[in-house]
Formats: sequence, structure tokens, C-alpha cells
Amino acid sequence: MADKITLGYTHLSGCTGCTVALADNYAGLLTLLDRYVDLKYMPTLADVRHVQKVDVSFVEGSCCINDKLAVEELKETREKSTVVVALGGCACYGNITRFSRGGQQNQPQHEAYLPIGDIIKVDVYIPGCAPTPQMIRNVAVMAYLLLKGTKEQKELATAFLKPLMMAAQRGTTACFCELMTEVINQGLCMGCGSCASACPVNAITHEYGKPQGERDLCIKCGACYNQCPRSWFSFDVVENYEAINEAIMAALQ
Amino acid sequence: MGAELGKYKACVSARSTDKEILKHAQDGGIVTSLLGYALDTGIIDGAIVAVNKEFAAKHQSLIMRDNTNWDMVEPWRPFPAVVSTKADLLAAAGTKYNISPNVSMIKEATRSFGLDKVGIVGTPCQMQAVRKLQLYPIGARDVGAAVALAVGIFCMENFPYQSILQLVEDHAAMKMESVKKMEIGKGKFWIYGKRGQVVQLPLKVTHKYEQPGCHVCLDYVANLGDISTGSVGSPDGWSTVFVRSKIGDSVWANAMAAGVFETQPIEKVKPGLELVTKLANEKITKNKNTLEARKTFGVGKALRSPYI
Amino acid sequence: MSKVVEISPTTRHEGHSKLVLKVNDQGIIETGNWCSITPVRGVEKLAVGKTPEQVPKIASRVCGICPIAHNLAATEAMEASIKCEIPKDAKMLRHILQLANRLHSIALHDILILPDLYIPGTEVMINPFTAEEPVRTVAKRIQRLREIGQTVGQIAGGDCIHPRNTRVGGMYRNCSEQAKTKMYDLAKEGLVLAKAQMDFMIAVLRNYQARESVTVGGMKVALPKTLGYHNQGYLATDAFYGSSSLDECPTWDIDRFKEVRPWDWYMGEMEVSLEEPRYPVGGTTKLGTKVNPQMEACTGIPMYDGQPVEVGPRARLVTYKNYDEKGTVGQNIAREMEYTDSLYEMIDCIDALNPDGKVVADYIPDGDGSLGWASNEAPRGTDVHITRVKDWKVQYFSMLVPTTWNFATCSAALTGAPWQLAEVIMRGYDPCVSCATHMIVVDEDNKLVAQKLIQ
Repeated sequence: MADKITLGYTHLSGCTGCTVALADNYAGLLTLLDRYVDLKYMPTLADVRHVQKVDVSFVEGSCCINDKLAVEELKETREKSTVVVALGGCACYGNITRFSRGGQQNQPQHEAYLPIGDIIKVDVYIPGCAPTPQMIRNVAVMAYLLLKGTKEQKELATAFLKPLMMAAQRGTTACFCELMTEVINQGLCMGCGSCASACPVNAITHEYGKPQGERDLCIKCGACYNQCPRSWFSFDVVENYEAINEAIMAALQ
Repeated sequence: MGAELGKYKACVSARSTDKEILKHAQDGGIVTSLLGYALDTGIIDGAIVAVNKEFAAKHQSLIMRDNTNWDMVEPWRPFPAVVSTKADLLAAAGTKYNISPNVSMIKEATRSFGLDKVGIVGTPCQMQAVRKLQLYPIGARDVGAAVALAVGIFCMENFPYQSILQLVEDHAAMKMESVKKMEIGKGKFWIYGKRGQVVQLPLKVTHKYEQPGCHVCLDYVANLGDISTGSVGSPDGWSTVFVRSKIGDSVWANAMAAGVFETQPIEKVKPGLELVTKLANEKITKNKNTLEARKTFGVGKALRSPYI
Repeated sequence: MSKVVEISPTTRHEGHSKLVLKVNDQGIIETGNWCSITPVRGVEKLAVGKTPEQVPKIASRVCGICPIAHNLAATEAMEASIKCEIPKDAKMLRHILQLANRLHSIALHDILILPDLYIPGTEVMINPFTAEEPVRTVAKRIQRLREIGQTVGQIAGGDCIHPRNTRVGGMYRNCSEQAKTKMYDLAKEGLVLAKAQMDFMIAVLRNYQARESVTVGGMKVALPKTLGYHNQGYLATDAFYGSSSLDECPTWDIDRFKEVRPWDWYMGEMEVSLEEPRYPVGGTTKLGTKVNPQMEACTGIPMYDGQPVEVGPRARLVTYKNYDEKGTVGQNIAREMEYTDSLYEMIDCIDALNPDGKVVADYIPDGDGSLGWASNEAPRGTDVHITRVKDWKVQYFSMLVPTTWNFATCSAALTGAPWQLAEVIMRGYDPCVSCATHMIVVDEDNKLVAQKLIQ
């Protein structure tokens, strides 16, 4: 196999739960680092202090536009990365920082937080709060195949990443409301239950077979909307689920 | 064979060799027998199935609801439950013909239920949901690899609960309480009463009551199940079975070797695969037309398509 | 003449922080300021007006390394305010969840401090991600311990990073008999690994302690025997879990607590007058850069009996077990000693759990605006949340989190150490900076915050 891809990890206003999710690949994390990924910049895990030029950058957290340092770091990340991945609910959709409204000591002016896609162009989304270790792993392996793989592997990776790229293009808002407006209101919901199982705060139940969202519980992470098979669904990818799962597992053996 | 039946390694007509299961089950008792066998042999350590109200009320720790007033819950409403014994499985047997969000339990099954190997039964769309969450586990940490057996059931369309209520109580003039079994077959919706009465409704009556979300579905025979099954194509009391994935292949081979099912070649039975193919094509064509129509639904405005 | 050096950002811990150090000619720290530069998301302010059900879910997301402590402290503060007693089995599930988080967090911290340490008997500093032995075996053991912790947490609490099944009034679900068995098996396996890991880490730490000098970015730095010593005292509210204002004998006293702004405690504007490009990786802040900890710090300074205190594993061991080793090494060793302790306690809690027991209170009041607080012993120290709930709406919410306590204490502990080792001292506190970025009530007149709260 060709050499590794380089990875950066920029941490903005997030909680490090996304970092923990990455680390929760357990032994698989070691395999990823051994074979596919060269960790160039990730202050939480290693000593490099400043944003580096890399193939792929994960960005965790939303961006406080009242904090000069955060905005600069985000822009620098964009300039120095071939691919920017918004990792987790905060980076993709704002998540709990959508509720922020400033006024807290010792920096009461820290008031306005934006998902990173409102400030820079983002290539790939990994939503969820926390995102899952497996999703991070799958994207890391696919990014490797995309940048370093054979022609067939590049095609597979492109097909796999396409929905996540489209999610990045779609916009920076997704919560239970999008499940209503983009799925149920569009006559697409068939009551499978994916949203309820995806919800990280148990805000979704099913009443008479259809989702009921407790909007006073919803934290705006976008997991329900993106897990829904009727938000986006790629037959090309999902019909080959066995082969793709096997390829990913084999890559980590 | 075209793409309408999905990928499969084998297709047979089968029925359970367990008389007790056949007595409770919908057709050939495939789902119940298969999951029962998988439970017995440790292939799965629990299964997500749709149970009825009586079972749910009695075994509340196996379902996800709280705050439910069971006296107010109508008969024939399904609830997803995690069962881990054969007795519970048997109690859940039979198609409910209205929506049971089985996938809603898939994460919890691996959490407070403590399952390592989850079995799940579901419609084609639920199989799509399971595969999506295995490949794109956005809100499904540590779930994908725990899905040990996914059994899909053929599905032309599904109904909201209130639709079933109107079909039974208005069109068929029966009380929900007195219904023993419902079935779609031979172009009709059949309702069997506990006292032996049988009412059949032509499907054109039922169409209006279908769940709208079913009209964009492009899968009839659960292409993404490990094994998928339904009555269509096989004689009465038998079911058509597609063995699709590697997992499905191995589970089916072992179940056959253990004498769980008797089978006939699908080519030898009537109406056979021809009918399955015909119905699959009908569903897919109709729903592709729906998807096309959605593109020009408004004035310069389309309705969304989920497919990319 | 003193010089000013700045290390920004600091690495191998959660969040964004920096160290501003005034050092003497020998490079020994005279005054150290360690402060958060993480933007303030304002969780305490955004909580106001929301439901007591949602706020603990948001509180959990303040920090992804000790989310369990935040979630439980917030949930229990709500319960304390509305005066809701939860069933015993719900308590057991919360205990299991909390201990599971501690297990994973200790293991994660091992990864973060290992690069400062040496393989005993060699001059090789440990890269935890190297594929070479003996490190790979240790890394795998650490990851397995984390996996055990996270999996147990997932079973007891629905999810392990941000728990899903906790709720005001108890838990959404009890565990099945099968789940209980699974947790049991995992805990038993973890105990064997934790013992081995603890022994390994203590050996490595003792080896470090015995050294005369260490190397930082090619610079040979003398290692003082008093590395990280301070005299600030300790605070812990329980050996394992925590306390709340609902308790018969609470172990934390809101009247002894107050918080001031960093203005009083941190240094004012200065200019960087010492730059060291060799400091790994990327060097220290450039000469001439203006720094101003007073203005830049994103946290307040909490005090107990008028002084900052240390919270965390050593504080628990000192308070409940007469542990007595000072300094950075003593602090790290205390953390290692909690490995097995948390698993023994976890096994006891799993034993006590009745899978058939109810886990939600029969009656959950809407709240009358009473003050309620709950503390939870996060892996890195006491986490106290204070709230008032009235008519099922949060009126006031405040989080007093572990690293906020430790900022000022650690700053004091920097004095006397070579500046190149400031980060080593800081990492001993296993900081979680995102969560520390909160501040309680402004206290301009030096009035007791508690008085303001109770009024």
C-alpha cells in the first residue's frame, strides 16, 4: 500500500467527546495510526502546537465568531487542508452551542457560535453527538482509499463519501425539525424507528408508528435526520454493504 | 432474473417443521422458527420483534415505552420488543399489518438489554435502515457489528394503525378485539375473526389507507435482509425464502441441517417466482412513477427524493 | 531580572489553555499563571428558562471526557432543587456509570502523560502510539481498559460519551439480567488489567521521580524533588461518588465557598521576554508578544475557606484514605491507585443492582424555586452543580467544575519548578479545560456567593 495520509485535528468550541469517540476505536485506533493515518496535528493527543499542512483535517466544535483566535485557526485549517471534515454535531450543525447567547463571565462577549460550514467550505460531514467511532473509522479508511488507493478503491471511496459530501453542501441546520420538514412533511417517513434509536438524548419516541419529537429535549445534533433512511440513501453503496463492511474490517485486521 | 428480487444465493419454498409454531404463525412460520433456532444455538442472544399490546403490557421491561396507560391502548397495535426466549418469540408471532418501528430498539438492545448478537425482523425499509446504520453509523455506536441476523419480510405497503382500524371496523364491520389474524394474499385483504368469520376486502379499497411513505419504496422482497421471506410465490401454509448474505447462507444451512424447515424447490411450486417477480415489478414501477411525479409536483418546485 | 515566557496552547489535555510564566535567571518559575483560553459557551446562562430535563443533557456536553460527572451532577442538582428521591436501583446504575467513566478516563490520562516519561532503565521517552514493544502491549491494555469502561457505561447509562438513559427522577431503563452479567464479566476482566496497568504506571512514575534530570526539546533540565508541591489543601466530597443538598449529612458546604474573578489572582499585561524555539513542538510564544492573563483567562477563581484548593484523585485519597504524597508524581500515582478501587466498587454496585427494581420515582415534583446542589466526583475532581427549578423551568444554573478549582491551585504549584516542566505539572491535574470555562456569580464586593444564592 502507498504511504499514509496526513491528518490534522482542530479543536474549536466542542467538548472533546468527538476526540474520545475517535479514541474509542480502541485497538483499531492503533491500527489506523500504524497503517493509514499520520497524525500531524492534534494538541489533545500530541505536542504539535500549531495548525499544519495536511491531507485531511477533522474539525471538532463550532466556531465562536467573537473569539479572534478561533476564527483564525479555522481559516488556517481550511487553507492548509485538502479535505476538511466537520466532525460531530457542533461542527456540522451547532448542536448545543446553537443555544448559546453570551453573557457569561469571564468573557460575556462570547455570544455568537456558528457551525464551521457557515465560515469555511466544508467537504465532508460526520454528524452526531457524539459521532460514533465506527463512522470516524469508516471515513478515515475511505479518505485513505480516496487519496492513496487504486482506481477501484477511489471509486468505492467516492461513492461512500458522496452522501456525506452532499450533507456538507446541504447546509448547517439539522435537528428534529428537519426530520419533520424534510422527511415527514415531504411524505417520506415510513416509521422504521431509526431516528429514535439514533437520538442521543431519548427525545424521540414513536406514537402510532410515527416519530414524536420532544423538542424541549432536542439538542440539535442532526443524528436523527442523517440516520433516517429517507433523508438520504445511496443504493450504490448500501446494496454492497457486505463487501464494504468486509473491506473496512479487512483494512483494520 | 432482474434486479427486482435483489441479490440472493438461494430461493426455496419452505415451512417450519414445528407444529406448534405453524399453529401461531402467519404462513410457513419461517421468521419464528428461524429466530427460535438462532436463539437456541446462540447465533443471536435476543431478537427485536413486534409484539401485541397484551404481551407488551405484561412484559414492560422488554419494550421502550414509559408513561403508557395500557387501558387506553387499542388492540392490534404493535410494539417493538426485545425477546430472548422461545416462549416470548412465539407469543409475538404473526404479522400485525401496521407500523412497528423495530429499528428504534436496535441501539438499546445492545445497551440495557445486554445483547451481543442481535436478531431483527423487519420490512424492506427497515432492512435498508439497518444496512444504512451499519455503513453510516451516525447515531448507532457499536450497533452495526452486533447485528447477527436480519430477517426481512416481503412488503407491498404498510398501514398506519388508524387505517387498519377503519378497514376492520368500517369496511369489514368487525371489532378490532375480535380479529384473530389479518393477511394480504391472492389480491385481497383477509380478516379472520376469532369466532371463525372471514371477511375479504379487495385491495383497491385498501390503497387509500396506505402509508404515503411506502409509495417511494423500491424494494418488495427485502433485498437487504440476510434472509427474506413472505407468503407470495408459495402454496398456502408455505413461505418463499430468499437466502441472501453470507450470514444468511450459513444460518440457513445450519437450520436446514438441524431439521428446522422442510423445503421444496421454488421452481416446483405454484405460483412460484413468477408471481413474486411480477408483484415486485409492479411495486417498483408504480413507485418509480411516484418518484418521477414528485419531481414535477409543484409549480417549479419538486418534492424531495431520498435517493442519491 | 525576571523574564516572561508563554507556552500557548498547552497540549495533551482537554480544551485550550496556556501557561504564562515569570521565571528567574536560572529558568525557575517565580510566578506561574495557568489559564483557560477556551471560548465561553455560556452553558450556565443558556440553561436559564429551559427544562430541568434538557439542562443536564446540555451540561453533559460541556465536556466529553467527564460528561458523566456533569450529567449526573446536573441531574441530581435538579432533583435536589425539586426534592425528588430516586429509587435505589437508579442510584446503583448511576454509580456504575460514573465508575465506568472514571476507569476510561484514568486510562486515557495514561496515554496523555506517557510521552513525558521514560522506559525505566533507559533514556527512551515513551511514544504511546509506537508499534514497538514493550509500549504496544501497554497501549493495547490501555485501550482495552477504556473499552471495558466505555462498554459498561454504555450498558448502565445507554451511551458512554454522553449518557442517554439518565433522567430527572431516576433512569429511563433498568438493565436486564443478561446486561448485568455482561457488566460483571467486563469488570472482572478489567480488574486484572487494571492491576497490571497500575503497577506499570507506578513503576514508570517512580523511575521518573528518581531521575536527576530530564530532557525537554533537547534541553537538559534538572528535576526538582519538590516538583509540583503546593500548600493549598484538598477538597473531595466522597471517595467515589458525590453528595447533594438532599443528603442527611452533605459533605460540601456552600457557605464555605466563594468565587472571584481572575482579575485578583492573575498577572496583568506583560511582554514575552524569553523565547525558546526548541520547546516541543513549535517553540514558545514569540518575543515581544503582549500577554495579559487577567484579561484573557476564561475562568474564575473558586475558593473554599478563602483559598483555592486541589480537587481530584489525590484529594479523594487524602480526604478519605490518609494518602500523603505531595507533588506531581504523588498526584499521578494517586490517580493510578484509583484504577483498581473503581473496579472493586463497580463490582459491588453491579452486585447490588436488582434488574427487576424500579428506576423512576413515582412522583417528580415541578419545583418551587428552592436552591439545590449536587456534587459528583469526576475523574479529575469535585464537580458541583447548583440550581433552582420552579414550575419545571430552570431559574438559575451554575457549574463549579474540577479544573476550575485546579487552575489556581496548579498555578501555585508551578512556583519553584523549571519552566520547561510547567506542562508536566499541569498534566498532573488531568485538566479538562472546556468544562472549566465557566464562572459562577460575580463577586465584586467579596460577598459570599452562597449568601447571594440563598437570599
